[in-house]
Amino acid sequence: MTGNAPFLVVGIIFFLGMYAILFERNLIKIAIGITLLEASANLLLIVLGYRTGGSIPVYTLAGGTRTMVLPTPQALTLTAIVIGLATSALLLSLIILLYRHYGTLDVREIRRLRG
Amino acid sequence: MTLVLAIVVPLVAAFLIPVFHLARKTLPVSLIGIMGLISLSASMAAAYAGWFSPEVSLLGGWAPEIGIVLVADRLSSAFLLITGIGSGAALACALEKFGGGPWRFYAIFFLLLGSMNGILLTGDLFNLFVFYEIFSVAAYLLVAFSMSWQALEAGLKYLVLGTIGALFILLGTAFTFMATGILNMALLSEALVSVPRETLTAISACLVLGLTIKTGAFPVHFWLPDAHSSAQTAVSALLSGVLVKVSIYALMRVCFLFFLETNGTVFLAITVIGSLSALGGHLMALRQDDIKRLLAYSTVAQIGYILIGVGCASAAGAAAAVFHSFNHMLMKMGLFIAAGNVSDEKGTREICKLTGLWKEKPFWVLGFTVLSAAIVGIPPLNGFMSKWFIILSSAGAGTVIPALVIAAGTVISAAYYLRVLSAFVSPGESDQEDPFKSSPRKVRSKIVSLTIVGSFAMFCLALGIMAFSPFSREYFSSIGRTAVDVGAYVGLVTGR
Repeated sequence: MTGNAPFLVVGIIFFLGMYAILFERNLIKIAIGITLLEASANLLLIVLGYRTGGSIPVYTLAGGTRTMVLPTPQALTLTAIVIGLATSALLLSLIILLYRHYGTLDVREIRRLRG
Repeated sequence: MTLVLAIVVPLVAAFLIPVFHLARKTLPVSLIGIMGLISLSASMAAAYAGWFSPEVSLLGGWAPEIGIVLVADRLSSAFLLITGIGSGAALACALEKFGGGPWRFYAIFFLLLGSMNGILLTGDLFNLFVFYEIFSVAAYLLVAFSMSWQALEAGLKYLVLGTIGALFILLGTAFTFMATGILNMALLSEALVSVPRETLTAISACLVLGLTIKTGAFPVHFWLPDAHSSAQTAVSALLSGVLVKVSIYALMRVCFLFFLETNGTVFLAITVIGSLSALGGHLMALRQDDIKRLLAYSTVAQIGYILIGVGCASAAGAAAAVFHSFNHMLMKMGLFIAAGNVSDEKGTREICKLTGLWKEKPFWVLGFTVLSAAIVGIPPLNGFMSKWFIILSSAGAGTVIPALVIAAGTVISAAYYLRVLSAFVSPGESDQEDPFKSSPRKVRSKIVSLTIVGSFAMFCLALGIMAFSPFSREYFSSIGRTAVDVGAYVGLVTGR
């Protein structure tokens, strides 16, 4: 059961993020929701590669232990974090520009493109 | 080697442009033109190599199990050709419109070009995701580039939905890795056969949902009309003509490799999404007053047609889908360029105000007429041929409803394109001088854009006639056979 706890956390974070994106009205909260989604995907990747009692997957630094955690998901996560950084930066700068234009962060007032 | 160059050359150009900008504030148009030509010839070289002898390049010499591979077969080559022609035309339009001033625009453009080639050539699932994200970030930036409130809002909407799509793709990749421990797409197509049914359902749901959001099919299409209509003319043409096709390539590649033998439901889902898209897109386009929004919704409908072709899960369906992708690139880029230029000069995008154009700019109207006839599907033109092949293959796959949807969609699209054309040819209100219209908006004649629209219209006619000959049909059906031949792809990558 305790082995599944990380997956449970991933699920909770994912649904929190989804909820924020779907139901929140404030653009900053939507941005937080997207960041939460990214965090959940990254956490899932990290959990996938974890071995109980494993050490870091660098041969010279691993010490005497036999088991190492899987290195591929960590590489994937690093890449995903960098991508997430780029998207978040762009997202926040777009929000800043929209705020300068509208003076509000409420989606209901910003949404003018329709039909 | 040619495959690596197709990705590296545009990326080098993207990073050289800021360096050149440091030396000179305004870049010479010829410099960007030459960079564009070199990049496009690199991708054409990759397309040529992949078409005549399928090519694999192992990056760093690692075996496909642990390294990243680049693969070019006929499907990739066909899409490389589509993106090459499309982005060349868009670059020419942008150069004519902006000149060498906005260096950021060109840097993003080349970044986009490199990442598109990366998506089309990669044979690794996670690498696909990475290139997809570079591609998406560049696309968000291009949409928001003009910094008007419409562009910012459309860019934000695109970014939010695109990021959600990307995260679903990432989740699908993570599940795939969890189930099999590999990321190479060719090896995955073998490994997924032995994966439990429930896991496979989760993987396919995540991947298909993510790719559908990125494609802009009907239930999750909200970003597409905003993004395509709010961007500048060249960018709109690029978005509708090229970017959508790259997403469709990713969907085709992933679905055919992973789910053709393991999960037939995926293709049923794609057919349903395609039919909904076709109907929904056409019905929404019927209600639009803004000409660029109308064209954008028409894109949603055409994506639906292509997805119906993909959903047939047969060689004929895939070939028809690729043929329609190519035709749609020609037609919609031409239509966007024509509509954008005409409405820029008129100073309005409302269809009912775009009157009297037949007298003022007959060539633009002529080009628009031929292209819209092609997209509606008037028989000797290419739009008719590709729709006909999609209908045939969809009926051949045993489902008649999508075929009926396409037929109904044709009628609806005829209605709204005729509305635009009747506004174009109706007499203008030249006697009552509009204060906004009298301000001299026209800067210089857009001869390059006009040439592109004209040549695309001619190309549409030529392709429609060519499709009658069995020889050229053989070319297209070979693309379809490559797309569904998973065994050949696996053999190509693994060298077995």
